Amino acid sequence: MSVTDINTSDGLSLQTELRRKKQMKQLLIWGLFLLFAGWCVHGTIIADTDWSRIGGRNGVLASVGRYITIDWGLLPELIIPTIETFMMASVGTVLGCFFSLPVAWLGAANVTPSKAILYPLGRFLMVLSRSVHEIVWALIFVSAVGLGALPGILAIAMRSVGFISKITAEAIENIDAKPVEAIRATGGNEFQVMYYGILPQIYPVVLATVIFEWDINIRRSAVMGLVGAGGLGLLFFRQMNSFNYGGVTMVILAILLLIVLGEVISHYLRKAVI
Amino acid sequence: MSVLSVRNLRVRYTAKGPEILKGIDFDVESDDFLAMIGPSGAGKSTLIRCVNRLVEPTDGQITLLGQDVRALNSRDLRGLRRNVGMIFQEFNLINRMSVMDNVLSGRLGYTSNIRSLFRHFPKEDISRALDYLDRVGLSDHINKRADELSGGQRQRVGIARALMQQPKLLLLDEPTSALDPKISREVMALIMKIAKELGVPALCNIHDVQLAKEFCNRIIGLQDGVKKFDGDTTTLRDSDLEDIYAMEVL
Repeated sequence: MSVTDINTSDGLSLQTELRRKKQMKQLLIWGLFLLFAGWCVHGTIIADTDWSRIGGRNGVLASVGRYITIDWGLLPELIIPTIETFMMASVGTVLGCFFSLPVAWLGAANVTPSKAILYPLGRFLMVLSRSVHEIVWALIFVSAVGLGALPGILAIAMRSVGFISKITAEAIENIDAKPVEAIRATGGNEFQVMYYGILPQIYPVVLATVIFEWDINIRRSAVMGLVGAGGLGLLFFRQMNSFNYGGVTMVILAILLLIVLGEVISHYLRKAVI
Repeated sequence: MSVLSVRNLRVRYTAKGPEILKGIDFDVESDDFLAMIGPSGAGKSTLIRCVNRLVEPTDGQITLLGQDVRALNSRDLRGLRRNVGMIFQEFNLINRMSVMDNVLSGRLGYTSNIRSLFRHFPKEDISRALDYLDRVGLSDHINKRADELSGGQRQRVGIARALMQQPKLLLLDEPTSALDPKISREVMALIMKIAKELGVPALCNIHDVQLAKEFCNRIIGLQDGVKKFDGDTTTLRDSDLEDIYAMEVL
C-alpha cells in the first residue's frame, strides 16, 4: 500500500468513524461505572445511615475530638497485654508453620502421596484457612477452649496456614529436580530426599514468607481481644465500653508501637535471611 | 560373572508414548570402563537410569551384582542404589549446602533418619570425605558453598559424593558435557584413575566420541533406542560411527 492510498478521503472517513465508535464505547463504560457507583453509595450510605443521630458537622467533630486525649494512667496496665499480643502472634505463627508443613506436603503436586484424594484435600485446607476471617476463627476457638490467649493463638495459627502452606507448596513445585534425583541415587529414603533434596531449595522462600506472616499476625493478634481472645484488643474493648476515649487512644498507640516494632524486626530478619 | 547384565530392555514413559529403548542387551564386566555413545535423544540417559531404577523399565531383565533389579521392593532397591555411584551432567549438587555436606550426602543410604536430620555423620565418614576431597583436589574448598565453585570443581564434588557410597559400579551420565574441553579431559582422566585404583567398573554416557575413544576400553553405540555397535574401542571404525550418527546429519 502506498502513502497516497492511506491519505485518500476514504481512509480518512474510515479512521474518523473508527475513532468515534471507540469514544462512544468509552463513554458508555464510564457512564455504566458511575451509575453502578451511585447505586452502591445510595444503597450503603445514603439509605443506610441514621442521619438524625449524626446531628450536624459539629456533632461529628465533637465525637471524633473526644479521642484526642491520651490516658497515660493506663500505661502500667498496658505492658502485660502488649507482651501477650506479641507472644500470641509469635507462638501462633510458629504453630501455624507446623500445621503448614503437612498441608504443603499434601498440596504440592510433585510430592503429594496421592494426587486423587490428598492433593485436593491439601488445596482445600489452604483455601479454608484463608477464607475464614481471623475474628471468626477466634470466635470458634473461644467457644471451644474458652477466653484467654490460647484461642487467639489457635486462631492465628489456623489463619496462617493458608498463606504459608500455599507459598511452600508452590516453592516445592518449582524446585530443581536434579538434586532430588542425586539423593535418590545415593539410596536415600523419602525423608532424606525431602530433607536434603527439597528443603535446602525452598527454605529461603519459606522463611521470608513466615516472617511476613508473623508481621501480619501482630496486627491480627491486636484485635483478637475484641471477641475475648486476649491481648491488647481486650483492653481496647474495655476502654470503649467504659467510654474512656483517652484510654482507647492509648491502646491504639500501643498497638501502633507494637506494629512498628514488628515492622522493624521483620525488616532486619528478612535481610538476614535473603 | 558380569557386574551388570541387561537383556531386552524396553522403556516407554507413557503407555501410548513412543518406545525410547527398543530391546537393549549388553553386559558390564568388572574391569570395564564402558562408553555409551550416540546422538541426543538416542536413549542414553534413560538407559543409564534404568540400571538403578530412577526410570522404571517397561520390559526386560536387569541383573546387577547378582540381583534382579526389577524385582526389588523399595527398601531393597535403596540398598542396591547405595552400591551404585552416579555422576551427573549438571552435577546435581545441593547448591545451598557446603562442599563437605554435599560429599557426605553420598552416605545417606547408610545413615539413619535421626542422624541425617542433624547431619550428624559418623567420624569415619567425615575422614573418608576428607580423603576423597583431597584425591579430587578440593582440599582448599571444603567449607565453601557448592554454588561458589566453578563447573569443573563442582563435578569433582559430584565425583567425591559418588565415591563416598563405596560403589561397586559407577554410572556416569555425560559427566563432561557441561565443561569446557580442557576441564572435560581432566575430569575424565580423574574419574578413570580413581575407578582403576578402586577397581570399580563404570558405565559412561558420553557424546564426545574423541573422549570415549581416549578413555574407554569398550564402546556401545546407541541410535534411536537400538544398539548399533558393541565392541572394543580398537574395533570401532569410522563406518560404525557414521552408522550410529546417521540420523544426526539431518
